[in-house]
Amino acid sequence: MRKRIKELIADLQNLYLLSLHGVLGIVRRPFYFKDLIEQMDYAGSGSLLIIFLISLFIGMALSLQLSAELSRLGMKMYTGKIVGISIIREIGPVLTALVFAGRVGSGMASELGSMVLGHQVDTLRVFGVDPVKKLVTPRILSALIMVPVLTVIGDAVSLLGAYYIAVFVSHQSGTFFWSSIRDILIYENVLAGSIKPFIFGYLIACISCYMGLSTKGGAIGLRRTTTKAVVISFIAIIVADFVLTRILLYLLGFTV
Amino acid sequence: MIEFENVSFSYGDRLVLNNLSFLIQEKERVAILGGSGDGKTTILKLIIGLLRPDSGKIRIDGEDITEKAEGEMRDIRIKFSMVFQEGALFDSLSVKENIAFPLREYTQMTEEEIDQKVRELLRRVGLEEAIGHMPEELSGGMHRRVAIMRSVAAYEPRMFLYDEPTTGLDAVSADVICKLILDLSREGRGFVMVTHKIFDAFRLAERFMFLKSGTIVFDGDKQKVLHSTIPEIQIFLRELNWG
Repeated sequence: MRKRIKELIADLQNLYLLSLHGVLGIVRRPFYFKDLIEQMDYAGSGSLLIIFLISLFIGMALSLQLSAELSRLGMKMYTGKIVGISIIREIGPVLTALVFAGRVGSGMASELGSMVLGHQVDTLRVFGVDPVKKLVTPRILSALIMVPVLTVIGDAVSLLGAYYIAVFVSHQSGTFFWSSIRDILIYENVLAGSIKPFIFGYLIACISCYMGLSTKGGAIGLRRTTTKAVVISFIAIIVADFVLTRILLYLLGFTV
Repeated sequence: MIEFENVSFSYGDRLVLNNLSFLIQEKERVAILGGSGDGKTTILKLIIGLLRPDSGKIRIDGEDITEKAEGEMRDIRIKFSMVFQEGALFDSLSVKENIAFPLREYTQMTEEEIDQKVRELLRRVGLEEAIGHMPEELSGGMHRRVAIMRSVAAYEPRMFLYDEPTTGLDAVSADVICKLILDLSREGRGFVMVTHKIFDAFRLAERFMFLKSGTIVFDGDKQKVLHSTIPEIQIFLRELNWG
């Protein structure tokens, strides 16, 4: 038990150092632009379809649920407003981050893990290349850019799905739906929904890279680190979401 | 050139090297033999500073590298050329880009010069046609030939470090690799190879160390090996009789 606690503390310390070193690499030479573009392509373009599909159906499902419930109370016209706030502030960033962690985070962990096992990371060090700078920094930067971009796209697609259900299934006014959405696009809501993706992206990239670089023990070790990367990223996203929501609501003056 | 003084190293609770001491001169051709998990690869990683010992001193050209920071190791590492087991080519890069990698890191060559240099190195090992291939398209022997050429692409190492250079290869591919290693060592550069294949070790090296449970149980030349009565060495020698 004592040994496991020691290992956990060492892991947290190493994760912290890697996160710091990785993000500082963004402003320190040399810059690996080609690696950054490759990572952005893999993380961004590669995730677009899955984000599109999941966001669309989540938006439609949410709109269906709310329309059904609100129509019983005679408040169907609030569907757009509630859907909009839910998606922009909460569901959009979290959903995108979870999909990103599942698809891209697991890919980062398994790729780096197989590089460790195949001595490719050692080879980089032999050639005098800093593996954190070459491998971790481009992944952190690509996550910092692509998670927010994907979140904006996911939010827009979710709202379109919600609009479709509200107007064509629940027979609400399309004009009123969009004016509700416009009403909630205020500074506080947009800010709350914009900060989270950056934090989530950073957490996913750091956790996944750390797990990948600490891979030991062949194929089973690789399976273990990939699974751990996804599970820990999921937990980190959910916990961070709660903490950020609490902080943002306080800072933006919302009363609970 | 390489000096280990009472070096111990462990992975967690498992002691891998126990109070190891030896001296290897620059032009020596040394084979370190031992079973799996006996710490052979760990020795190579310690020499090049990829691992740090728990205790003891490691000196390269008389310079203690034990306490050196990662950023200061570059000057030490360029004295060696390290070829990892199975080559360790970068999966995401083509053969050309793999060999060009150290050229881009260490030299100011233009793209045209890099292309010429890569072709020249690949021609030397009969692989010029594989220049555009990805590592997954290469056989085990081709992998290692490319890795060896990559390791000498950008600078002239004074010594080679080979990690199981012929393990997992068929006889023909192993022969090609052995000839290449001999060819490179004829230029006056020594090497340290770790292997469990005594046949290849006898063919390439002049000094042999046997590692058992983290300690060197034998250090001598070929004749001494052949006349050794140490049981572990006898087990290795049986491979020769079967071969």
